[in-house]
Amino acid sequence: MAKEIIIDSLGEACPVPLVKAQNALKEMEIGDVLVLQIDHSCAMKNVPEWARKDGHNVEIEEVDDGEWEVIIEKAK
Amino acid sequence: MAREKKIENYDVVIIGGGPAGLTAAIYAGRARLKTILIEKALIGGLATYTNEIANYPGFPDAPKGEAITNLMKDQAKKMGVDFKLTAVKSVELEGDEKVVETFRNKYLAKTVIIATGGRNRVTGGKNEEKYLFDKGISFCATCDAAANTDKHVIVIGSGDAAIEEGMFLTKFASKVTVSVMHDEGKMDCNEIAKEAAMANEKMEFVWNTVVDSFEGDDDYLKTVVMKNVKTGELIPIDCDNCFEFIGYIPNTELFEGQIEMTGRKYVMTNDKMETSLPGVFAVGDVREKWLKQIATAVGDGAIAGMAAESYIAETETFEAHIMQSAKPGLIYVYNAIDADSRAFLQTIEKIETDASGAIAVNRIDVYKSTGLADRLGIKSFPAVVTTEGGKIAQTLTAELTEESIKSALNL
Repeated sequence: MAKEIIIDSLGEACPVPLVKAQNALKEMEIGDVLVLQIDHSCAMKNVPEWARKDGHNVEIEEVDDGEWEVIIEKAK
Repeated sequence: MAREKKIENYDVVIIGGGPAGLTAAIYAGRARLKTILIEKALIGGLATYTNEIANYPGFPDAPKGEAITNLMKDQAKKMGVDFKLTAVKSVELEGDEKVVETFRNKYLAKTVIIATGGRNRVTGGKNEEKYLFDKGISFCATCDAAANTDKHVIVIGSGDAAIEEGMFLTKFASKVTVSVMHDEGKMDCNEIAKEAAMANEKMEFVWNTVVDSFEGDDDYLKTVVMKNVKTGELIPIDCDNCFEFIGYIPNTELFEGQIEMTGRKYVMTNDKMETSLPGVFAVGDVREKWLKQIATAVGDGAIAGMAAESYIAETETFEAHIMQSAKPGLIYVYNAIDADSRAFLQTIEKIETDASGAIAVNRIDVYKSTGLADRLGIKSFPAVVTTEGGKIAQTLTAELTEESIKSALNL
């Protein structure tokens, strides 16, 4: 059964959200989903970019004004 | 694990959420078209990478790019535009129904507006791939400047972006070394930026150089090896971070083979932002144009939003009225500024009256737009097209008389 992991990275500036996401993904199985909560727009650039480059599926929800959830499905 | 994609219908699908895409969204939304904007990362596009926007009219205090694009986003939302933050995986742009697919959704659209912009060009130096983004090579001073407080950074390039971002970096870094391809004293940036850069004590220039390789350990960049383009001499320079500002590449891979592009892969458009495919428009940095600025992107977006509206209205008229299949059809295509063509309207009316309801008559004035005539394949005016069962039967361009038209319609 695919797991869903939520990481609260609210209030944290780059590169903290990216590093947290990278570390979390290392521990995850293929098909698991990481939900990274962020509110620094810099992370909206580097996190999805890194995840897509690594071949994972990425979608983003704007939860509130200036608050996002980056949803990463580990694909490999 | 293939999962069923959710299918949604839209009038307008905009790919890319920079100033061009956002403006297209505002105009399309205001024209009451069902519009969705798909953005793969942060709404605002390249503008969000700039710390000060000094030349966008209406903002004299040079706000951050993001501040301006956030206002555009709010405005588009007020117009009822939907936003989806994900990457587009594939598109099928030919035909009346365009398909835009993302990871989870399949969007069917009457029109597509391409606003995908560009991305940073890289030097192509050895080992570059190994250190991109978070491993020592950055493209965004705004993002990474603070992390370089009291460090030594290298900037590659001498255009406006390179020098302005380099100046910004001097507020944090202890030293900024700039690699310039040209001879001493020559830069690609504007004169004001150049003067300020030359006077900045924290800035140092290495002239006539390009990057040869990037060296470091497994995790991080340590040294950039420059090559003197004149002497071939290799100059290793240790640094904590390297910033590349050497131009952009249009994001057009998704559309390759479907729409016409230039040799450098920019999308070709006309002044209505139309691409080589009907119903597909391109705006902003992705299209071939002379000046790439927020101000010009916004202009492109406005045109495409309205052009999409006009295309959809035209399609509806074309399908519902002009190509009606209930009766044999007579379509008169003319330019209203031509007196003879205007006079011939009386003959058309006579044919209509004589047929007493047996045929459906449409008159298309091409003065404002040749869109409908283009769909009928008509290039010279006046012309008459007859239809049978919703399909073109005959096209008459010469010797338009009551008799010739009646005979074409078997009246």
